[in-house]
Amino acid sequence: MFEQLKDILAGKLHVPADSITMEATPQDIELDSLAVVELSLVLDKELCIRISDDELSGAGTVGDIVRLMEARGAAL
Amino acid sequence: MPRCDAAVTGVGLVTPAGIGVEENWERVCAPKPAAALDPELADAPVRISCRVPGFDPVQRLGARRAHRLDRFVQLALVAAREALADAGLDPASWDGSRVGVVLGCGDGGTATREREHRVLLEEGARWVSPLVHPMALPNMLAGQLSIELGVTGPGLVVATACASGATAVGVARDQLSLGRCDIVLTGASDALVTPFQVAGYAQTGALSQRHDDPAGASRPFDADRDGFVIGEGAGLLVLERPEHARARGARVRARVVGYGATADAHHVTAPHPEGRGIEAALRAALADAGASPRDVAHVNAHGTGTPLNDLVEAAAVHRVLPHAPVVTSTKGVTGHLLGAAGAVEAVYTVLAVERGLVPPTANLGRPDPRVELDVATVPTRRRIGLALTNSLGFGGQNAVLAVAAA
Repeated sequence: MFEQLKDILAGKLHVPADSITMEATPQDIELDSLAVVELSLVLDKELCIRISDDELSGAGTVGDIVRLMEARGAAL
Repeated sequence: MPRCDAAVTGVGLVTPAGIGVEENWERVCAPKPAAALDPELADAPVRISCRVPGFDPVQRLGARRAHRLDRFVQLALVAAREALADAGLDPASWDGSRVGVVLGCGDGGTATREREHRVLLEEGARWVSPLVHPMALPNMLAGQLSIELGVTGPGLVVATACASGATAVGVARDQLSLGRCDIVLTGASDALVTPFQVAGYAQTGALSQRHDDPAGASRPFDADRDGFVIGEGAGLLVLERPEHARARGARVRARVVGYGATADAHHVTAPHPEGRGIEAALRAALADAGASPRDVAHVNAHGTGTPLNDLVEAAAVHRVLPHAPVVTSTKGVTGHLLGAAGAVEAVYTVLAVERGLVPPTANLGRPDPRVELDVATVPTRRRIGLALTNSLGFGGQNAVLAVAAA
């Protein structure tokens, strides 16, 4: 799931790939409030995983987002 | 109102004539027209445009920033960096509270808006990007530049259609005159070459249909002109209070010494048939500069190449300046950059004054005999103490800038 998230962040949001690690914070990868909404839309569109922008905003690291994706993806 | 001259200490250009001031100057003086058939307009009623050649936003700005900026802001940002470097100013070390950003544009981020409107219609509201307004609002031109450059003084974007660029420079000088700041980054940018925009302009009958000779399509003041060629680009200028420029030992390229702004109050697209609005703006700019008509050695005309504009403008210029200063329309090379035109042409005017050289009007093979002006067909050396640059916008809004030698 980390690789899928990394592909989306780098490929769709144009976040520099080398900055995307499990430990990276939203600030590290410049994930502001607008980018969080963008990410929420792309996750739904590309992977059919629905995570609201509010939930994504609560994530402290990329790893937290991956765990949200895994929980939501497994529930599908 | 107190008034001061504004020292032009830096300029930057990203236009169909090239990326960078020197590339531009070489091409407009050549003159080598930029108009060409545009593959993205293959299904549009008019298929000719003037694009910025080889502009790669990812290479210039990085993928992340390019992704979050509409093209009209991308072009402006690159031109702004050149203008600041030219002025020898480093945003990292200036007092941003004494700096302003006053820019112009015609219609903001139209490509972004059109793309997201398609998403709305084809996929639904849920999928519309949250970036649509941060990218497309016209004022983002000033907003993004202020964020990028740490400018915390006045920031605004003016819209007077095709006069926006000249209006912005005039309003920027007003900010200096009022003492609101010491430095203003001014100019304009537009990137409106889209099938939707072209369709709209084509319906007004304003665009050239010369598809069999696209390089010859933009032909201001020529008897065979049939309309303008739509283009994209940005022109930026650094204006400073003269004492501020002097104190830091800045090189002054020229000075903006006058600004005339009027409205035709006549029609939304057609200029007043006698050109009363542009004539009044010419006289106002001269009065503001404290100059007499005979002081004017050069005019960079609006000269769009539409049958009506060129006749009306020429008649007004002839009435105000019967001594026949050397006139050019650089739109023969660049096409019509709409909201950016007045700013790009202000930069060309600064260069003409500084270098004593008037760029020629491209494609002027058979001058319209009704145009009673001395229009340059070759690069023309002239000592220029004072020059004017004209802009006329849809809505009947006119702006004239007076540019004097340093």
